[in-house]
Amino acid sequence: MKLTLKIWRQDNAKTKGKLVSYDLSDLSSDMSFLEMLDVLNEQLAVKGERVVEFDHDCREGICGQCSLVINGQAHGPEGHYTTCQTHLRSFKDGETLYVEPFRANAFPVIRDLKVDRTSMDRIIQSGGYISSFTGMAPEANSTPIHHDIAESAFDSAACIGCGACVATCKNSSAALFVSAKVGHLAKLPQGQVERMERVIAMVTTHDDEGFGSCTHTGACAMVCPQEVQLLDIARMNFEYNRAVCLVKD
Amino acid sequence: MALNAKIPAGPLKDKWQNYLAKTRIVNPANRKKLDVIVVGGGLSGGGAAASLAELGYNVKVFFFQDSARRSHSVAAQGGVNAAKNYKNDGDNIYRMFYDTIKGGDFRSREANVYRMAEVSVDLIDHMVAQGVPFGREYGGYLSNRSFGGVLVSRTFYARGQTGQQLLLATYQAMMKQVKVGKLKQYNRHEILDIVLVNGKARGIIARNLDTGEISRHAAHAVVFGTGGFGKIFYLSTLAMNSNGSANWRAHKKGAYFANPSWTQIHPTALPQSGEHQSKLTLMSESLRNDGRIWVPKNKDEQRSPGDIPDEDRDYYLERRYPAFGNLVPRDVASRAAKERMDAGYGVGSLKNAVYLDFKTAIERLGEDTIKERYGNLFTMYEKITAINAYKEPMKISPAAHFSMGGLWVDYELQTSIPGLFAVGEANFADHGANRLGANSLLQASVDGNFILPNTISNYLADDIRTGSISTDTPEFDDAEKAVKDQVEKLLAIKGTMPVDQIHRRLGKIMFKEVAMSRNEKGMIWAIEEIRKLRKEFWENAAISGDEKGPNSELEKAGRLADYLEIAELMTVDALNRKESCGAHFREDYQTEDGEAMRDDKNYMYSSAWEWENGKEWKEHKEPLEFTEVTPTVRSYK
Amino acid sequence: MAIKKGLFKTSVGRKNLMAVTGLFIVFFLIIHLIGNLILIIPDSFFPIEFWNNVANQHDMYNAYSHFLVHFWPITIVAWVLYAAIALHIIDALLITLNNWKAKGEKYAVIDNSTSTWISRNMGLIGTIIGIFIVMHMVQFWLQYKVLKIEHDLYNLVLETFKIWWMVVIYEIGIIALGFHIVHGIESAHRSLGIYPKKIMHIIKYIALYFGLVMALLYAIIPIILYFK
Repeated sequence: MKLTLKIWRQDNAKTKGKLVSYDLSDLSSDMSFLEMLDVLNEQLAVKGERVVEFDHDCREGICGQCSLVINGQAHGPEGHYTTCQTHLRSFKDGETLYVEPFRANAFPVIRDLKVDRTSMDRIIQSGGYISSFTGMAPEANSTPIHHDIAESAFDSAACIGCGACVATCKNSSAALFVSAKVGHLAKLPQGQVERMERVIAMVTTHDDEGFGSCTHTGACAMVCPQEVQLLDIARMNFEYNRAVCLVKD
Repeated sequence: MALNAKIPAGPLKDKWQNYLAKTRIVNPANRKKLDVIVVGGGLSGGGAAASLAELGYNVKVFFFQDSARRSHSVAAQGGVNAAKNYKNDGDNIYRMFYDTIKGGDFRSREANVYRMAEVSVDLIDHMVAQGVPFGREYGGYLSNRSFGGVLVSRTFYARGQTGQQLLLATYQAMMKQVKVGKLKQYNRHEILDIVLVNGKARGIIARNLDTGEISRHAAHAVVFGTGGFGKIFYLSTLAMNSNGSANWRAHKKGAYFANPSWTQIHPTALPQSGEHQSKLTLMSESLRNDGRIWVPKNKDEQRSPGDIPDEDRDYYLERRYPAFGNLVPRDVASRAAKERMDAGYGVGSLKNAVYLDFKTAIERLGEDTIKERYGNLFTMYEKITAINAYKEPMKISPAAHFSMGGLWVDYELQTSIPGLFAVGEANFADHGANRLGANSLLQASVDGNFILPNTISNYLADDIRTGSISTDTPEFDDAEKAVKDQVEKLLAIKGTMPVDQIHRRLGKIMFKEVAMSRNEKGMIWAIEEIRKLRKEFWENAAISGDEKGPNSELEKAGRLADYLEIAELMTVDALNRKESCGAHFREDYQTEDGEAMRDDKNYMYSSAWEWENGKEWKEHKEPLEFTEVTPTVRSYK
Repeated sequence: MAIKKGLFKTSVGRKNLMAVTGLFIVFFLIIHLIGNLILIIPDSFFPIEFWNNVANQHDMYNAYSHFLVHFWPITIVAWVLYAAIALHIIDALLITLNNWKAKGEKYAVIDNSTSTWISRNMGLIGTIIGIFIVMHMVQFWLQYKVLKIEHDLYNLVLETFKIWWMVVIYEIGIIALGFHIVHGIESAHRSLGIYPKKIMHIIKYIALYFGLVMALLYAIIPIILYFK
């Protein structure tokens, strides 16, 4: 099959970028989207041109390193997929695809389609953990956890931190990302001790990093590769409100 | 240098406790004077970085991903083993130790394996405390599943994303230390060399992958949690950027490389569908708990799998290995699949796959139970292949997966370079010639969290008066210059052959001759081909762009340059070992019914290769002594 | 300190304020609607015995208006209402400005399939409602309550809705209000942290039907009056 790609090329965060058009032919519908970019890059490298920089690593949908917005859709048209899981069978022969980086002020462009998502690391640094040092832990079965609670905690913990929620949000809010970690830890008995400080710190850092407010459009949950639920955001709000009311200075 | 594994004295079960009782430790007040560099932010490296920072050392951690949460430990699916015996099925530390030793075909170091089984118990406690949402029974207690090569249920799991959950816990522990300032992280940094001062590892040269800037970093000790190099096969279950470069550069500076040819070929990955393919996605081994593997009995079978009746199916694992059936260890399962495919019974358009069928399990347990156990794997399968595996069997195929070999380390996880430690998949000792499922998460986690922090102090205790290490020395100058020269040399090639294509060709050579089944003639041919390819690479690789700023082609080329050398050592090692053991299967050394033929008399050792005089490799042998077990023929029949 | 800092600041706190003020306005809208409904009570209902034998719609509506303006507790509530509306608007502006600041460069292709038009355009809808409220208050509240030029509110209302384009403007305002309520009620509950799945599911439907009923009832009044 043939595709026309309009790919965002930008040298670094300080320069202006633009869409550059590339035509690719002899593609197979079994190829993944990133394999198609590999093909393009091989062609560019042979011509001595600078290749298209894009983030990718595990190529099986779990590391969260791949990004990209394809035709305005974070991770491509399938919803709940990562870009590396998106295959060319999702597109029509001869189609024109606009390939852009995840866009948000908190995600500055490094080059082309690569963006800097360390703002999400800093949110986790501010409180997205349980302060249990190696060697401190009690016997694992000493605290039974209801099956459904463990499963529900897993649903939130499954977040791969890809940032598609931010890229797709009209407000560039990372509420879904923050709520996934807040929810994961607040649901488990091990997370109770730091429960209140955690949510306040994470929400504050979220704002300081320049992410926007959630207005509950629900777009994030529609693209989340791990199907983190929109209700996690409501739960985070509950945790937050509870914390600001109860926390001691 | 003679190999000294420094195995502590005493009975096997007391060795680790004896070691802990007698090893030197560093006073908390002195720890803040000591710097440690950790390379790799995954379960082993990240675990080490977090634990060392918690102890009070100044830690710098380097990794090439944009966040440590993306390290490839994230992709481990099935679970992590621990001898908790929650299932009351007769499990204990000794049994786990024995299973691992046997699974490794009696080619691992007894003391290390026992220690791994021993601390496995603590690991589960640690991870639960960190908030890992392991699967649970309805009573609220931890649940277990069973894995290949064992007869008990000792695998703890978090759906099919156990690696992700353990990694996130470790990542979070790291982030906590970043916040308190004991840990400094360098993301998107690749290690291009290590620096030796007076024979000791004292620093590294790193390249910032965003800016191209090359920087020097000094420390009292360096820890490698750099993972495996299975990506050498190009098509593998590894991440695209996983590489063997750090290990290889260390090897060229004097670290011995042990058993490099022992690569695990995982039996349940997705088959290749075309030339362009970049990755073979793994389907967790846990699927073999409920899935049955078969091929049609008829070579020219045209019917769709659902229409083929039982009598026309060959459940070849159940046929050949009635005791373990579909749960034989990975090397056995992969080889059996290859045997069927080579004989012409493969399925799929390229005849390169076998069926993994859940029909019986769904009939027995219902679709809901299967969904709860493996739901995310079925979803993943459907996302990649567009096939609903609840309705028709999965097609699976063997793929390169795990490097049992790696940097040679002693009992303290120290390599043959003083001050350079290796943890997790980057080292070699625990898995022998074949790794059991769910032992890799275990080894990575315990090495980083529980073992290294207790052994590195023995080395660092000598450095409390050293003061901080300067990067402004001739050793750093030389190392930096060598690194810059190589970057320049790569960019000067300006050839016409894309780096990935050369890598693909290397992968084909390696997968054909140095993978599941090996023979002398083929490997001699492979060495020639690898050398030719290496020459071609240095003459004709197409590397565009410059060294300033991100340049993924340059990164790939640097890694491939090392792979082209590692490949040769792997082949040399495989050629040298004239026996079959575990994943190392020599066609010229097999029994009449096609099982591996071990030669304990001549090969009961780990090979540790030294890069001598910058020209060739010299083999050192670490004899393997078994005091508690008697090596037997590994049989799963 | 945490409460001061947290409850109405930060991205979550600001949404709390939106939710609380929004829900209060919704509560007022119910009261407002009850008054409006007097305008469409059929003549056969009068005289109503339990309210001093009010003889017709005209008297009843004016009596009700008089009561609202002169009963002091309601004056207090009214001030709270004005404050709520002002806060709702200011807070909305703050959130919107901040969200604009958070946004990166615009995408070349914008895909809207993942969310509803209403949820994305609460700001626009709110602005329409805002303009509408100003007009509405100038027409009635200013004349009747503040300047006190007009004493017969009933006549004023009736006259206004004899103008066809005035009816159209009101219908537009009411439709916008309906949309705003549908997303607003659901969103407010999410903002305040109602997370149990079953409850949120019910609230979602309540928001939808409540918004629909409110808009319908508000909307039929100008039309009935126009044809009266």
